[in-house]
Amino acid sequence: MKQTGIATKIILLSCGVALLLMVVGCILVVQYEMVLLNNMTDTKIDEKEEYFFYLLHHEKKAVTQQLNKQINDLIRLMTSVDIIYAQTFEFQIQMILMHPMVIAAEFCDKKGQSFLAAWQSNKVEMATRLPDNLDIKSLHMIKKNIGIPAVEMIRLYYSIDTVRQKIISMKKKEIDEINETRTNIYKQLRGLFLAQAIGSFFVVGLLGGVLIFSLRKLILNPIQNILQVAKQLRKLDLSVDINSKHSSHELNLLSLALGELVDGFRKIIADVKENANMLSESADSMTGIAEELTSHSEDAESKASDVVEASMQISGNIHAIANNVEQISDNMDDVSSTSNFLFNNINSVANAIEELSASLSHVGERVKNGTQIAEQAVLLAQKAGKTVTILRHAADEIGGVSEFIQRIAHKTNILSLNATIEAASAGSAGRGFSVVASAIQEFAEQSSRAAKDITERIVGVQKGTSEIETAFKDVSSIIKEMNESSESISFAVTEQTKAVQEIASNALEADERARNINVSIDDLSRSVNDAAENTAQVAMGANDVSTRIQGVSESISFNRQISHQINEAAIVLNHLSGNLKCMVDPFKVSQPQKNYQKRSKK
Amino acid sequence: MNKLKNITSEQKKLPESKRQFCSFQMAGHCFGVDILDVKEIIDEVVLTTIHHAPSEMLGFVNIRGHVHLVLDLRLLLNFSSKPIDESSRVLLFHPNVGESFGVMVDQIGHMIEVEESLIEYRLTDENLSGIARDFRKSELEKGVCKLKDRLLIILDASKFLSAVELKR
Repeated sequence: MKQTGIATKIILLSCGVALLLMVVGCILVVQYEMVLLNNMTDTKIDEKEEYFFYLLHHEKKAVTQQLNKQINDLIRLMTSVDIIYAQTFEFQIQMILMHPMVIAAEFCDKKGQSFLAAWQSNKVEMATRLPDNLDIKSLHMIKKNIGIPAVEMIRLYYSIDTVRQKIISMKKKEIDEINETRTNIYKQLRGLFLAQAIGSFFVVGLLGGVLIFSLRKLILNPIQNILQVAKQLRKLDLSVDINSKHSSHELNLLSLALGELVDGFRKIIADVKENANMLSESADSMTGIAEELTSHSEDAESKASDVVEASMQISGNIHAIANNVEQISDNMDDVSSTSNFLFNNINSVANAIEELSASLSHVGERVKNGTQIAEQAVLLAQKAGKTVTILRHAADEIGGVSEFIQRIAHKTNILSLNATIEAASAGSAGRGFSVVASAIQEFAEQSSRAAKDITERIVGVQKGTSEIETAFKDVSSIIKEMNESSESISFAVTEQTKAVQEIASNALEADERARNINVSIDDLSRSVNDAAENTAQVAMGANDVSTRIQGVSESISFNRQISHQINEAAIVLNHLSGNLKCMVDPFKVSQPQKNYQKRSKK
Repeated sequence: MNKLKNITSEQKKLPESKRQFCSFQMAGHCFGVDILDVKEIIDEVVLTTIHHAPSEMLGFVNIRGHVHLVLDLRLLLNFSSKPIDESSRVLLFHPNVGESFGVMVDQIGHMIEVEESLIEYRLTDENLSGIARDFRKSELEKGVCKLKDRLLIILDASKFLSAVELKR
């Protein structure tokens, strides 16, 4: 019972509603009772209040009458007596104050002045008049005229507070009692409500249980049976037994009708199944035939296409040969032109080589000239070297001469010094001579300086000449080297000239040979052109054959397409029959064992 | 004797109170002697050495048949000795200065003529003791002459021979 049925749901819902209604009714009743109770207690309290107010008023009246009576008695007593003593007044006033309600009293004379007063504080006190601190105005007052000469008037002050307090306390007590009873009644009512709620729960639960039990027994079990049958039908199982023995008449009728329907269906489906099987077998055989036909036609087509390809290849090859032959012809033309070009080139080479040989012989002459010039240069350089050495010798000699001049200058100097000395010793007579001597000395010094200069310059010249000498030596050696190399060059040039002459003769021969080649290549090119024309004709014939074979192949492929279409139609038929079988198969017509046997037959 | 010689040399003073000196150089210093004391300047000296003589005496020299003694003025002036070279010269003095002798100098200079006023003589102190006076005699310097660019130390030629004796 995991899935709660419809019946249980209805029952639970109705039970819930009933429970809710009961609880709400209960709450309403209790509330009404509570309101009633409250109203009753309130009216009772009001009545009490009124009663006590009345009681207080009555009491007040009684006290006033009592006091009036007492004072009247006193007045009567006083009027009846002739002589009144002061003690009598005191006694009387004390008597008056004995009354619990009386707080103060005073006796007044003719002028209205009090001559004796008494009041209650803690005990009875007396004086000529009332003290000021006593609050008279809040008290009730009784005024009486006596009419005797001694006492004109009596004033009496009293209060009814004590009585009122007593009455109020009584009233409070009664009201408290009423409230207490009310709370008690509240408690009782709450208990009643709880009891009512529990009782209603219990009743509702009992009702629900009985309903559920009866529903399951009478309605749910038969419906369950019918549901199981429906489940089997949903699985397309028509081989189901329908039990028609139910407790209720309506359900019996329903199951009978269902059984008849299932029987009818069972028969129809069995017929359809057999027919579908037969159809499928025939479609299978047709498919096989169509496939065979297709395969045969494909075979034929492939063979035809092979033939076509082969013919195409042959045609292509012949074409290629024709092309090649043409290319050869073209190439031959190229070769012929190239050989022409080669012939021209060789011709120009031969000419160039002749020119080269001529120029080489020219170079050889030049080199010989150069060698002669170099020899001359060597001779000149040697001559110049000799000249320089002569120059050096001359410079050395000049050095010797300058040394000699210097020595002479020294001598002259000493001579002049000595002359000066002599002139000095001669005194004033030698003055003139001394001037001459000093001039000579100066001259000697100058000549000495000049000689020194010359010597220095000559040394420079000597250095320069020696450098020039070495340079000339270097130059002559270089020229010698040049001479040697130019000699070797001239030798090489003569050899080269010989070689070039040989080359020139060879080039001439090559020229002639090239001319011969040219002629023969022209012949060859002509014959190749003829061959190219012949091959082109053969290629055209091959092409014709290939196109015809292609026509045959195309017709075969058309045949194949038709057979393929037939095959496809058969396949579609087969597919349709299969679909029908699939549709019908799920219906179980008989018991499972029989079904299995049928499948095995298929 | 010396005083007499000094008088004779001063008598021959120039009337314009000018004096002439023969200048020469020794070890970079400039010296001079009175031109009247000099007899002759000689180059190309051929010296004949005296073995047993003191080192200040360089040797004898033969000038036109007369033999003269040559002193080394470097040693007399307390310089170090130096070998003879091209510029070396010999100054021969008058016989009134000393008996036929001369001195070897490094290099001969010009004849210089100066005013008397430019010469400062060394003062001789008479109060010195005998030994001090003898020492003063050996002093070869006579005074200093102020030239334009340098100072010329004037030597007394008559004291050269006695200086050789004193050194000994």
